[in-house]
Parts: sequence; structure tokens; C-alpha cells
Amino acid sequence: MLAFISRRMAAAVAMLLVIGTIIFSLLIIVPGDPAELLLSTGGGSASAEAIANLRVNMGLDKPVLTQYVTFLYNTARLDFGTSIVDNGSISSVIALRLPRTLEIIIAGTIFALLLAIPAGTAAGLRAGGKFDIAASAINALLTSIPGFVLGTLFIFFFAQVLGWLPAGGYVAFAANPMQHLQMLVLPALTVGLHLATIVFRMTRASVLEMRGHDWVRTAVAKGLRRKRVVRRHILYNALGPIITVVGLQLGILLGSTVLVEFIYNWPGLSGLLVSAVEQRDYPTVRAVILTVAAIFIGINLVIDILSSLLDPRIRLQ
Amino acid sequence: MMSVRNFPKRMILPSLFLAALIIIPFAAPLITADDPVKIAVRYRLAAPDLEHWLGRDEFGRDRLARVLYGGQVSLTVAFVATTIACIIGTLFGLVGAYFRGPSEFVTSRLSDIVLCFPPILLALLVVTLFGPGSVTLVAVLSVLYFPTFARITFSEALRVTSLDFVEASRALGTPSYRIVLGTVLPNIAGPLSVQYSLTAAAAITIESGLSFLGLGVVPPAPSWGQMIRGARQFMNQDPLGIMIPCAALVLTIYAINFFCDRLRDTLDPKGTSGSSMDEVSKPKSRANAPTIKDPDVVAVINNLRLETAHFGTPAVIEDVSLTLRANQCTALVGESGSGKSLSSLALMGLLPGAIRQVGGTLQLRRKSDEVVDLGFLDARRLEDIRGNDIAMIFQEPMTSLNPIHKISDQMIEAITAHRPMSKSDARAHAIALLKRVGMNDAERRIDSYPDQMSGGMRQRVMIGMALSCEPRLLIADEPTTALDVTIQAEIIELLQTLRQDQGNGLSLLFISHNLGVVADIADRVAVMYSGLIVEEGPAAQILRDPHHPYTRALIESMPSSHEELNSARGDRLPAISGTPPLPSARPSGCTFRDRCPIALPACAHIRPALYPSADGERAVRCLRAPEAPAGVMNHQTEAA
Amino acid sequence: MTAAPLLDVRNLKKSYSIGRSGLFSKRSLKVLHDVSFSVAPGEVLGLVGESGSGKSTIGRAILRLIESQSDVMRFDGQDLNSISPVRMRSLRKQMQIIFQDPYASLDPRKTIRAVLSEALDAHGLHKGAARVPRLIELVTLVGLDPSFLDRRPHEFSGGQRQRIGIARALAVEPSFIVCDEAVSALDVSIQAQVLNLLADLRAKTGVSLMFISHDLSVVRYISDRVMVLYLGRVMEVGPADQVHFSPKHPYTAALVSAEPSLHRENRRIRLTGEIPSPLVLPSGCIFRSRCPYAQPACAETVPPLQTVGDQHQSACLRTDIL
Ligand SMILES: Nc1ncnc2c1ncn2[C@@H]1O[C@H](COP(=O)(O)OP(=O)(O)OP(=O)(O)O)[C@@H](O)[C@H]1O
Ligand code: SF4
Ligand code: SF4
Ligand SMILES: [Mg+2]
Repeated sequence: MLAFISRRMAAAVAMLLVIGTIIFSLLIIVPGDPAELLLSTGGGSASAEAIANLRVNMGLDKPVLTQYVTFLYNTARLDFGTSIVDNGSISSVIALRLPRTLEIIIAGTIFALLLAIPAGTAAGLRAGGKFDIAASAINALLTSIPGFVLGTLFIFFFAQVLGWLPAGGYVAFAANPMQHLQMLVLPALTVGLHLATIVFRMTRASVLEMRGHDWVRTAVAKGLRRKRVVRRHILYNALGPIITVVGLQLGILLGSTVLVEFIYNWPGLSGLLVSAVEQRDYPTVRAVILTVAAIFIGINLVIDILSSLLDPRIRLQ
Repeated sequence: MMSVRNFPKRMILPSLFLAALIIIPFAAPLITADDPVKIAVRYRLAAPDLEHWLGRDEFGRDRLARVLYGGQVSLTVAFVATTIACIIGTLFGLVGAYFRGPSEFVTSRLSDIVLCFPPILLALLVVTLFGPGSVTLVAVLSVLYFPTFARITFSEALRVTSLDFVEASRALGTPSYRIVLGTVLPNIAGPLSVQYSLTAAAAITIESGLSFLGLGVVPPAPSWGQMIRGARQFMNQDPLGIMIPCAALVLTIYAINFFCDRLRDTLDPKGTSGSSMDEVSKPKSRANAPTIKDPDVVAVINNLRLETAHFGTPAVIEDVSLTLRANQCTALVGESGSGKSLSSLALMGLLPGAIRQVGGTLQLRRKSDEVVDLGFLDARRLEDIRGNDIAMIFQEPMTSLNPIHKISDQMIEAITAHRPMSKSDARAHAIALLKRVGMNDAERRIDSYPDQMSGGMRQRVMIGMALSCEPRLLIADEPTTALDVTIQAEIIELLQTLRQDQGNGLSLLFISHNLGVVADIADRVAVMYSGLIVEEGPAAQILRDPHHPYTRALIESMPSSHEELNSARGDRLPAISGTPPLPSARPSGCTFRDRCPIALPACAHIRPALYPSADGERAVRCLRAPEAPAGVMNHQTEAA
Repeated sequence: MTAAPLLDVRNLKKSYSIGRSGLFSKRSLKVLHDVSFSVAPGEVLGLVGESGSGKSTIGRAILRLIESQSDVMRFDGQDLNSISPVRMRSLRKQMQIIFQDPYASLDPRKTIRAVLSEALDAHGLHKGAARVPRLIELVTLVGLDPSFLDRRPHEFSGGQRQRIGIARALAVEPSFIVCDEAVSALDVSIQAQVLNLLADLRAKTGVSLMFISHDLSVVRYISDRVMVLYLGRVMEVGPADQVHFSPKHPYTAALVSAEPSLHRENRRIRLTGEIPSPLVLPSGCIFRSRCPYAQPACAETVPPLQTVGDQHQSACLRTDIL
């Protein structure tokens, strides 16, 4: 078990290194002078002085290898340098905004799991039944609505037409817990529903597959209660594949959070990212993306370990 | 490859729907003469009228034109990017799978890396460097998606290349490129086309998302994402403005997903819903009153008839009656598909959902000596009986145990399901059982997982588990077919010993297609052919002196019945021609008649009954058997 | 065996590398240990053994469908160890294979016509007008109706598919066919039909067969000589009837006695223990952990194949027991 975990950890670190290298080299392979490129917002070119400044600032004047080593070293210390736009420390901005993004994601995930796993199980157990047909149809429709469309529609109905919830914005929990939660509902719901469609599909398929296995027939033949057969011999087995897929889909989820935060004016990582992209603040963009990739890899590491706990075959291999 | 005539019906609707949604935007010039980018601020947010069916947007541009031309942009970006990704990815994957080596490593690792980047973030990163625009988008999306194609192609191609028919092509000396293009590629086209649709839908989502952020398609070129972005500010005054692009976007993605779902179903019908509503269908027919009188009889199947749940299909089991006695081993033999498994599953109340019982009764004497009719029992009482009064072991020891639970847990739950017992007592009982079925070191091995055991050991575990509540009836469905001969011999011997030790007069229903095994273990034999019992009686009599031509043919065609024959000396085995009929293609009269070496014309008209012998010990379903009543042929031929 | 052998194999070895034990060293799993045999023209050599004994591996190694090592591997006078890929491809015309699973061995998307044509095309046989008569000849040869040519595999029963597989192998008129459990998946009445078909073909065409099966009676009926394998080693080889009715190796004896039979009174030789994992094989005689006659000496030397009768060899140290 320990060997398994350490092997996975090593793989995760290696993956981070590769990703860091790719992100780093993007700036090297881009045609022309990166400093000039980054400062050429809106077509106008920047002054030679500003370009030279940026070069020094980002270390672009040093040899590539030195740049690379410095970049890796700094990244490992969680020092992402300073923003091109306002020279502020990127790390501290991320530290401020990351928890807000995580809050939406965690709330959304909990909502998705609570909704989709029971629904998917019920649909999978009676595939072709009334519930399955209805739930699958709704799911197919929801799957086809991109997150930002869903968000826009939610604002339109719940905020504009019905006026039940605020259309967006953010208040710190400490300042006004009630309002904070009210503002959290729609973003979390938008992100969660999207994830729920994926989890539903996967749960249904996985349950459908598991229930056809011989061991389920053995369990029924032993005279176990139906509930127990479903729990121990169908759901428990289905859980591994479900969480693995959820883990892989988290990438898409993290991505759709960008748009959702943007729509609801939620000051998480995405506001930072979108404005950084608009202003071509490359160091900030790079830092945000590295952070997100690291989170993704971290979550998948946890999921790997979890599924090896669920399934001895992964451990024994 | 697929002609128009056998285009699957289920694909027609989704194909038309999708085609319409793709064609309409490109037919824009035929639908509207308006220019999507011509600004007319005077008419901003004008309501729909006869000339501008969908009204005008915040700059007074015609909305219909914008939706249609915007669709062109979105669809072009998505499909061009997906196609590029698909072609490059498929090439990578095929090369990786067929030639293995380093290309394999590249393919699988590359997609792992790309998967770590949320797609939209990677797109943003590139946009930062290269600036927004359709070309940038196509490039990013292609790079983003090709590893997924490579990965899918790789794993699917790997699966296909390991199949026998690809190996056969290699053995024939077909050149590699022809194997890859002619055999491997067509066989992975299904999953690839599903992935293609999925990717196209995802690409549209990302394109519109980026445009919505103002980082995708560059204004003034129209795009759905941009339209939503623009209309958002006027959501209150002008709900239509936001609904139209949203609807266009959702409808298009829905059409692709719908197409994709149906495609998946068509390619892999077993993966989805199908007809089975539940894992098991319950026994339905019932006798008026339980009728087992003889205290020695443990279970009775009477005139069982099973049909598939689809309306109007022929019976898969036509007529099966069996009496199972204490201290007796009854063997059910017959070829694949003859209905052995279904008959026994019926007795467990474990029929697959697609099969319905339409006639006959199933009765059982419980350990308490109470006689029950399975048709009267609710699900709860059936659960009480299964594993307790009847137990069952299956053919495939490799899949019959749940791979993710320890043996101990699986045995303990079988015991505690029927006996109020503490976990530690149940565990002790389980260990004792494992010792009884011949497992050395049971105390330690009870805590292993099924995958850590050999097939023979798992089958021992299954037997131990089946006997855990001392059932009166044990059903063994081909318990040794998947095992090597030496292991098979051990398991048969084990079953024999256990039967003698059990003490409460265990009755064994042993299903097999191997007459040699049956001769070893059975007291009575029932031979099945195409859903009917054709001969039944004491094992020794039937195997020595079969009365039904089918039983005779079964025994005669076994090479072990002819130790004197050798093909090298030009000898041939006495074989009968033909194959067993499908339930839907049973001949009239005797179901065996087109293979029967002694059939008479009358056999085509009369379906023989199971004629009992004078002493009642055996019965045969053949008009020419000694048991058949004299004159049955003349009598009925006249009638016919 | 007076004629020069069609196939001659000396010391065939095969190992698979599996996982890693340390960071760099790979563990290897030896599945064949120095297997030697030959097949004469027109001869049928039977291969029997339990699962994991390496039967299929031998068949695939000879056809060069998998990599293997051997001191000698000659087919029809050509050295397969040094043959060029181009020559090998044309040699494939002479050596064919029939598979166990009638469902996996045919491409579900191809009609029978396409399946058989692929075989002919691979070697440029019967082109143009000669194609159709040849196809009809082939399906008739295996006892099928020519109308089947334009159907796809899913329309056929297991026995019919197996016949198609045989027709595919026969299409290129090979002189040697590996039949890998070719009748094992078939019901007994169908199995007899296919066995008779193979017997007819060998009489008619003089093809040599390597007949792989776990069913001893089937192998005895169809073969001239039988080779018994256990965990990748040859235990006994000899004329089919002799090996079956008077086995000289304890393992063969146990196998034969374990075979369920309608007619023989069962005097089963008990084997103890399970088949060892190929990763941790017993020293000396590989069968020692289950052998009822094992002695301390059996742990020391690997018993060589010794002649015990006419063309009959057995790898057991104790010649006193059987
Ligand atoms: N779930 C099912 N749906 C529809 N038909 C079925 C189903 N299960 C079995 N059948 C059909 O019922 C018939 C009897 O099947 P059964 O499994 O009892 O045969 P069997 O004698 O046990 O064969 P085998 O030796 O292959 O196990 C066959 O024609 C089979 O195709
Ligand atoms: S009834 Fe006729 S066809 Fe049927 S088995 Fe008897 S003789 Fe043959
Ligand atoms: S050498 Fe020894 S262990 Fe091996 S088969 Fe002969 S007697 Fe048995
Ligand atoms: Mg069966």
C-alpha cells in the first residue's frame, strides 16, 4: 500500500514538472520577442524602455536554462513573481482568491454527488423503466446546456424574473453569513448541475454494468436482502469507476467555473484570470493555470488512492 | 459499408435532426438577405417584424442573420478543429497500438498531460500569447483534443489487434498496412465516431464560452457566445435577445449529443437499457395447493414453460418436469442452449428479467418440512429461501465471487443472512466450512481476495459458501467446466464426499454437458434437447442403454466412447448431422427429427410426449422408443 | 518418421517480462523451457496439458505470431530464426492456424466472401475469374452451402463459424495447420462433425496438423503422436495410443485417470496440491510438488527425456513405477 502511494506521488510530481516545463516553454517558442508581444495590447506597441524593463523584470534577458531553473525553483517555493500590470505579488492574490473558487467547487460537487448518485443508481437499477427514461431525458437536455448559458438563464429567471436570489456579487462570509450563502447558491448550483449530469451518466452506466456481473447473481442466490445486494455488490463496486471519472471530469469542471465566476461576478481565480488574459499579464495567467493544474493532479492523486482502497485489484495488480 | 436499406431505424431521427441544424446556418444567404454585421443604431433592440423575424440587436443588426452566420462560425471552428484532432489522433493511436514501443508511450502520456489542463484554461493561455481569433481557436482546440483521440484509438486498436481474427490476418500474411486499414480501423470506427461527436459538442461549448468572455471570435464577426454576451446587459428589456442565441447553442449541442447517444446504443446495444427491467423476474404460475406428498421429495418442477418477455416469441423452455429427491444426485445434461440453466434458475427464483414463466409450477420442501409453491412467495420470502433451503454454485469461479470483498466477508454475509449469529461465530463457521471443502491454511486464506486464488480454490469457496446454511437442495450449474481435468476430478470427488457427510439428505441438481462427469456423480439423468426433456431415468440405465436417439447420439459422438478409433487409420466418429434448432425454428412434430437417424414420416406430425416405462423408472420422448404406447403413430397419423 | 521432418524445433524458449521487482530490473515469467519436437509431413502431433502449460504459446511461436528463442526452428527446409520478413510472409502460405473461439476468430464486419478472399489476396491466388469457383470449392469442402458466402458471421452457429475458420486456413493450401483448441468450444455432437471434417481433410490433402487441446480423448483420436506438457516442459511424447493407454510419466497417468469417462471404471490417481505459480517453480522435476511418486532425488535434477519405447519418451527419473 505504502509503495503504491509513493509510486503515485512520484508520478504526480513528475507530471507537475512536465506541465511546468510545457508552460515555461510556451513563452520560449512563441515567435518574436515575448516581452514585446506581451506589451503590445490592442495593436499599439509599447515604448522601448517599458519592454526593456519587462525583460529584466521577468528575467527574459538571462540564458534560457537559467530562466528555466529559476522558474522551477520559484514555482516550487510557490513564488509566482509579480504581475506585469500592477507589479503586485501574484502569490498573495492567488492565496486570497483561491479559497473562493474552491468554495464554489466544493459546494457544487457536494450538490452534484447528493443529487446524481442516488438518481443514477435508481435509473441504472431499473434501466428502461419510467424513472430512468424521464431522468435520462432531463439529463440529456442539461448536458447540452453550457455552464455559462445555464448561469445566464439562472440569473434571468431566479434573479430578474422571480427575484429570489441576488444576480451575483460577493460578500465575505465573516461580514454577512446569510448574504454570503445566498450569493453562493446560484454559482454552486450552476457548477454542480453540470457535474451532476456527468456523475448521473456514469453512475447509471456503472450500476447497469455491475448489476450484470456474476457475483451479483451469487449474492442474490445467497439470499441476501435486495438492499444489501444493491449496496454491497452493485454500488460499492460501481463507486471506483464513478470517482475515477469524476476526477477526470474535474478538469472540465474547473474550466467551467471560470465562466461561472465571471457571470456571477464572483471574485475567485477566474476574474483574475480573465482580466489577466485581457491585459496579457502572462505571469499571472501562468500562475493561475499552474495552480489549477496542481489542484487537478492533487485531486486525482487522492482519487487514485481512494479507488485503490475500494478495489484490492488495483493495489495487488 | 452500410447500405441505405439497413441504415438503423433508431439513427434516422437523430441524423436528420443533426443534419438540419448543421445545414441551416450554411443556408443563411437563402434564408435572409440581411448582413449580420451591418449596424443600424436607429433600430436598436427593435421587436420582430415581417422583414426581421427575430428583431434586431443592441446595435440594430438583424438577429436572424446574426444567429445564422454566427452558427457558421461556431460550427466551422468546432468541426474543423475536431476533424484535425481526429485525424492526427487516430494516426498516432494506430501507430502506437500496432507497432508498440516508444510511440505507445508518447500516446498514452501525452493525453495524461493534456487532461491535466482544463481545456478552457489552456485555450486562455494560448489566447494570452497569440491573441484571440478563429485560427488560434482551431489550433488550440486541435492540440487540445488530439491526444484524446490518440488514446481512444490506441486502447481500442490494442483490444482489436489482440482478437483472433486480426491474428488470423497476420497468420495469412496480409501486409500490416492492410490489416490496420482494412481490419483494425473499421472495427474501431464506432468508438471513434462517438468520440468525434462528443468532441465536436465540447468544441462548440468552448468556442462559445471564449467568445462569451470576449476572447474568442473577434468582433464584429458574429458568434453565439458574443451574442449572449451582448444581450446579457439588456436581459430585462429584451429577453428574446438572450433566448435566441442560447436556444441555438443548446439545440445544436443537444442534436450532437442525441446523435452520439443513439450511435453508441446502436453500436453497443448491450451496454444500455435494453429490455431488462430488473435483474430477476419472479416465478408467477402457481398450483392451487402445494402438492408434494412424498416426504423424500425435496423439490418438484412441473410442466415448466418459459418464454422471452417479448410478445409472441416461442417458448425457450417448452415443457420441463423434474422431481428431486433427498440423498439423490440428478444430472441435467444437454447441449448449449438446451435450457439447462434456465430450468435450474427458475427453481431459485432467479430467472433473468427478459424471461417470463408462463406455465407450470415450482414447489419446494423447506428445511422445516413446510412445502411451498414459489409462485405464492413474495420477494422477501424468496430471499429467506435462497441460500438457506436451496443454494447454487455457478460455472465461472473467476467471476462468481465479488473481486473487491474478502472471502471472509462474502462468506460471513451468506451465513448471517439466514442465521442470527455474531460476526466472530460466523467467521469461525466459515473457517470450518473452508476446511471441509479442503482448503489448507483456511484461517489465513479466508482473508484473501478472490483474485489471489486459483479457479479450483474459488470453486471450493463457492461450494463452502453454498453449504453454509445446510440447504436441502444444492444446484451446481456446470461447476467444473471452467476447470482443468485434474482439478475437475478433485471438485467432483469433493461434491461426492460432501453429499455423503451432509447428513440431512442433501439433494444435488448437477448440470453438465459432459456425460463422463455425469456418469461419475449422478444417480438419475435427465437429457434436454431444445427446451424439452427428451429422456429421463436412472443414470446407469440411461448411459448404458439410451432409448432416445439423441441420447444415443450424444454418447456415440464422444471420442472417449471409441477408444479403438483413430483418425490416422481412417476411422470416423459416428456423428449426427445438423445443429440444435433455435427456439424460433423448432420443426413441427418431434423437435429432433431433422437430425434423427431413425426418423419416420409420422415424426413430422406428432410431437411425442414423455412416455413412461412400464416400471415408471424412466421415460422417453420418442415415438420409436420401447416406451411409446403401441399404435401411437398409426392412431395419430390417421387423426392428422 | 522416415521422411525429413516438415517442422523441426529444438529448445524452444519463451519468457514474458512482467512488471518490475525493483526500480530497474524486470521480472520475467518463463512459460516455455527448452521444448523440442518435430512434425513429419502428413503427421498429426497432439499437444495436451492443463491451462498455463504453454500449448498455445508453442503454436503461436512456430507461426512467428509471437517472438521466441530457439536453437533450431526449421520449416520445410527453411530456417525460421534467420528468415527475412519478406520470405516469412510468403512462407505463411504454408502454415496456418485455426482458433478456439469461433466467435472471436471472424471479423464481425466481413462477409465470408471477404474473409476467404483476404486469404487468397494475401498470396495472389486464384485471381479474376478463378476466384468464385475457388470460393465455392472452399465452402463446399468444409460442408457449408455456397449461399453462405455473402453472409456475415453473426448469422452462423458456432460449428458453422468453426468450419469457416477451417476454410480460411485451407484457402492458401497450407502444408501445416496449428489447430488451437479448435473443437473445444463446440458441443459434443458438433465437435464430432468438425473432428471428422479434419480427419477427412488430412486424408484428402495430406496436411500436417499440430492439434492443441486439453481433452485427451479428442487428441488421442485425431493424432499420430501426442506430446504432454506441464508448465512449459515436455513430460512425455509418443504414439497417441501408447501415451493414452500405457502412459510412462506420472503426470500423464494422472491426467488420463482424471478424465471423466462413461466406460472406464475410475481408478483415479490423486494429485495433491495446486499447480505452482510459474513465478516460483519447483527445483528439479517441475511436477514434483504434485507427484505421488516424488522422491528427494526429484528435487535435484531436471529429468531429461528418456526413450521408454518405440518413438516414446518420458521425462521422469523413476522408471520403476509405470
Ligand atoms: N436472458 C435471456 N434472454 C433471452 N433468451 C435467453 C436468455 N437466457 C437464455 N435464453 C435462451 O434460452 C435458451 C436456454 O438457455 P440456457 O441458458 O438455459 O441453456 P443451457 O442449456 O444452460 O446452455 P449452456 O450449456 O450454454 O449453459 C437458449 O435458447 C437461450 O438463448
Ligand atoms: S420421434 Fe421420430 S424423429 Fe423424434 S427422436 Fe423419435 S424417431 Fe427420431
Ligand atoms: S521425476 Fe520424480 S517428481 Fe518428477 S515425475 Fe518422476 S517421480 Fe514424479
Ligand atoms: Mg448454462
